[in-house]
Amino acid sequence: MNNEPERGIQRKLRKRLRVESFFKLLMAASTWLVLASLVLILAIILWKSLPALKLSMITRNPGSGYYLGREGGILNAILGSLQVVFGATLLALAIALPAVVFLTSYLRQKSWLAELIRFSLDVLWGIPSIVYGAFGFLIMITFHLRASLLAGMITVAMVELPILSRALEETIRLVPSDLKEATYSLGASRWQTATRVVLRQVFPGLVTAVLMAMGRGLGDAAAVLFTAGYTDKITTSLLQPVATLPLAIFFQLNSPFPEVQQRAYASAAILTVLVLFISLASRRLSRRLGRHKIS
Amino acid sequence: MNQTSRLRVENLNVFYGQNHVLKNISLSLPDNRITVIIGPSGCGKTTLLRSLNRLLDEQEGVRVEGRVFLDGQDIYQPGVDITLVRKRMGLLSQKPQVLPMSIYDNVAFGPRLLGLRDRRHLDDLVEKYLRLAGLWEEVKGRLQEPASRLSIGQQQRLCLARGLAVEPEVILGDEPTSALDPQSSRNVETQLLNLKENYTIVLVTHILRQARRLADYVAFLYFGELIEFGPASEVLISPRDSRTRAYITGEIS
Ligand SMILES: Nc1ncnc2c1ncn2[C@@H]1O[C@H](COP(=O)(O)OP(=O)(O)OP(=O)(O)O)[C@@H](O)[C@H]1O
Ligand SMILES: [Mg+2]
Repeated sequence: MNNEPERGIQRKLRKRLRVESFFKLLMAASTWLVLASLVLILAIILWKSLPALKLSMITRNPGSGYYLGREGGILNAILGSLQVVFGATLLALAIALPAVVFLTSYLRQKSWLAELIRFSLDVLWGIPSIVYGAFGFLIMITFHLRASLLAGMITVAMVELPILSRALEETIRLVPSDLKEATYSLGASRWQTATRVVLRQVFPGLVTAVLMAMGRGLGDAAAVLFTAGYTDKITTSLLQPVATLPLAIFFQLNSPFPEVQQRAYASAAILTVLVLFISLASRRLSRRLGRHKIS
Repeated sequence: MNQTSRLRVENLNVFYGQNHVLKNISLSLPDNRITVIIGPSGCGKTTLLRSLNRLLDEQEGVRVEGRVFLDGQDIYQPGVDITLVRKRMGLLSQKPQVLPMSIYDNVAFGPRLLGLRDRRHLDDLVEKYLRLAGLWEEVKGRLQEPASRLSIGQQQRLCLARGLAVEPEVILGDEPTSALDPQSSRNVETQLLNLKENYTIVLVTHILRQARRLADYVAFLYFGELIEFGPASEVLISPRDSRTRAYITGEIS
């Protein structure tokens, strides 16, 4: 008698299972696509750069005739990129950290100022880095400055600032309000709460955010294109031009000589390894630093 | 009632936006006694407790009217230093909130806020207050471990020790045992009973049996109104108001 409804239910159940397995397949496929593209990119870069990968690539500056395929390396660009990105990240952090602490700990979350800051950060986030490059260039012209390490740092800092601020804001926002209240109820001021408890709680996230911004800054070509200049020597002053890896790749790839093109891929491999290293370090560090974190 | 009260609430009204959650509350909390606030869920117990150390100020969209006196001073007067008010009251929350640092640093947090740096002195304080909270024996060998590794019951007693280390006069507790197992709850209750000699204690609970075990005085809140306040023996055993009676017999909850 009650066979009819039973069968109906079974039919529905089977259909649901079919739908579910279809979506599972789809998700698995997407996951593999992500992994495969990563592996593919790494493999191609490595394969193309293999003939040029010599120790001298990372231990020497470009010699005379390097861009015609003769002896030398890109030590200048490796060091230059690190100089730019360290300076830029420090600069960005020096602005982002106080701004975000102010935004999250001092301002009422729905006040117009808080909304305005958040909106500005969103807009800044969306601006392509070539625009920052052009902006930096404009400032340089206005003040009659040459392309230099300093100008490159400032421009890359502009690119990193919204990335850093947003990542910081997101980690700080996750701090439970109960934790802040516990601190307040011990008689701590906002400043004490922010510096002694909140920043401690988010420290692993802070490190991750900084390294993430560094990774972005390291690879950004557009920001340094007009502002940092280029040199075959190692830069020792903030006011000298500086070589960077993205531009090293760009110039060498434009060369008609196959040897030089191979070196472009080798430079790309080196840049990728640096970024990879930074990501790995950030994972290791955030795990290690999270010892005291409460969940 | 021939009790002195350093903590007094006068015509307190609290609004969340348009929502009038505490209605003209006046209450004197007796010194060196445990006053338990009872009432159905949502009646405003937590709000009342948080108004006492101005933790309500941290929330957005809250309006507080009326006065709260601590030793004769209205803590809602403009110009009052909130941090000083809060240092005079320890707070235990529903879920223990340990700070993201070691057990030692949790207890030393308050004294350090006051500028204490001397290691020997801090060591003494940490031991003293951990003992007072009944936790010393369990943690004396692992003071440098992250506080988050303690069990929930131990964490709540750590929060108690941390609050005591600020040397408050008042202890506020918002259902401080509700996240704990029965054994740990008993443990915290015992500590509170030991402490009432020297502190004014205000506890929120929805467990009537706990109120019976701990309360010297009981305040019954109902829809934001203070219906009844008096010695525990009167309020819990022969309440005057029919609503209190209904709550105590379990007819409303
Ligand atoms: N942040 C808030 N915003 C708006 N309304 C709130 C807020 N917090 C509490 N309320 C409201 O205020 C009233 C009193 O809340 P309160 O938390 O003080 O009750 P309670 O007696 O502690 O309840 P419980 O026993 O469930 O903890 C409730 O109606 C609640 O919905
Ligand atoms: Mg409550």
